[in-house]
Amino acid sequence: MKLSDFPFKQVAAILRKDFLIGMRRRATFAAMMMFALTAVASLSLSTGGAFVEPKLLAALLWVVIFFAASAGIAGTFDDEATAGTLPTLKLYANAQAILFGKMIYVFLSLVALTIFILPIFLILFDAAIENFFLLLATVFLGLIGLSAAGTLTAALTTSATVKGGLFPILLFPITLPIFLPAISLTEISFTGEAVDSGLLVVMTVFDLILITASSILFDYL
Amino acid sequence: MKIIFDDVSLSFGQHEIFKNISLELRGGKIIGVTGANGAGKSTFLKLAGKILKPDSGSVNFPDDKKIAAVSPEMKIYDNLTAEENLRFFADLRGKILSAEKISELGERVGLDLETFGKTRAENFSTGMRQRLKFAILLSVDAEIWLLDEPTANLDDAGREKFFKEIQAAQSEKIILLATNDKFEIELCNEIIRLPL
Repeated sequence: MKLSDFPFKQVAAILRKDFLIGMRRRATFAAMMMFALTAVASLSLSTGGAFVEPKLLAALLWVVIFFAASAGIAGTFDDEATAGTLPTLKLYANAQAILFGKMIYVFLSLVALTIFILPIFLILFDAAIENFFLLLATVFLGLIGLSAAGTLTAALTTSATVKGGLFPILLFPITLPIFLPAISLTEISFTGEAVDSGLLVVMTVFDLILITASSILFDYL
Repeated sequence: MKIIFDDVSLSFGQHEIFKNISLELRGGKIIGVTGANGAGKSTFLKLAGKILKPDSGSVNFPDDKKIAAVSPEMKIYDNLTAEENLRFFADLRGKILSAEKISELGERVGLDLETFGKTRAENFSTGMRQRLKFAILLSVDAEIWLLDEPTANLDDAGREKFFKEIQAAQSEKIILLATNDKFEIELCNEIIRLPL
């Protein structure tokens, strides 16, 4: 498909529609936020204000983001399938437009989730950010990968009967190559050590691989 | 314009629905698809619209031909208003609907969109939803219409509006109408009877 043939207007229409429905239902978004908040609060209480190693802190942040995101992304296609609107959407929209419309919506939801939970996380763990732009870049790249993998996994598990358990099990190994460098880079952003640009390249390349693979595989779902 | 079934076979598990079907569905008429429950009327429509892929053989029509459908399986968005539903599906097909156009569509299907346009579809009765589905069908300018028991939830006035619209549209489209309703069958120019 040439870039000029790509259904950008359909992507925008699907994104607009999902945003409108998301604002009205709020349940999915509230579930993500509450999961993240509960997890961060529990972790913070369990450490009792003790110093937490930056490496562990970085890992905890991504664990919270991963599971909170799982709670929201899993229903990306399932909500449409349950409501019976998925066949209608598939009939009227190009498959790639559906994928990218949903993927961008998931990404924006995760950005909102991170904006909500990151300050709370930093305050509760008394963590300082030494390299803000590195943290910003890491979160941006991490959320892109999580959105791409999550959207494809949500499409795959739509027809499964035990999707609640299946979704994180399938998503975790796909996103692991994103999370490992993301945790290392987040640690660096906390400690202020020299930035390993190779890790940013790894994340960027893996994001591109995930987006491309999702785009290719989605046509067969 | 035509839809060509070339040696199409399809089974669901052990149940063979279609075996080696070859036929041509030509435009300019209403083609009725009838048969007992379970004979495969809805499946036939899905195959014709390439919504379902056959196990073997192929269904062919030019890729640039657009499809629209009214079917019990194809729902509209309950959390969107009637107008938002209309604009969304029209948007997907590159159409921008003016307020006048929306009002005209409502009139054609017998749904007062000046009153109910801002009402969410979840508050609509089944018949009103069906009328909204027709309005979507009319708004997207598709060349192929797949209509699966389209008047099942409509009152007489709604049915009349619907029949008037499909008769007016038939000359420039391929219209497939899956039904067992005797009155709808009488409207068809050609009938495909599916054995059980």
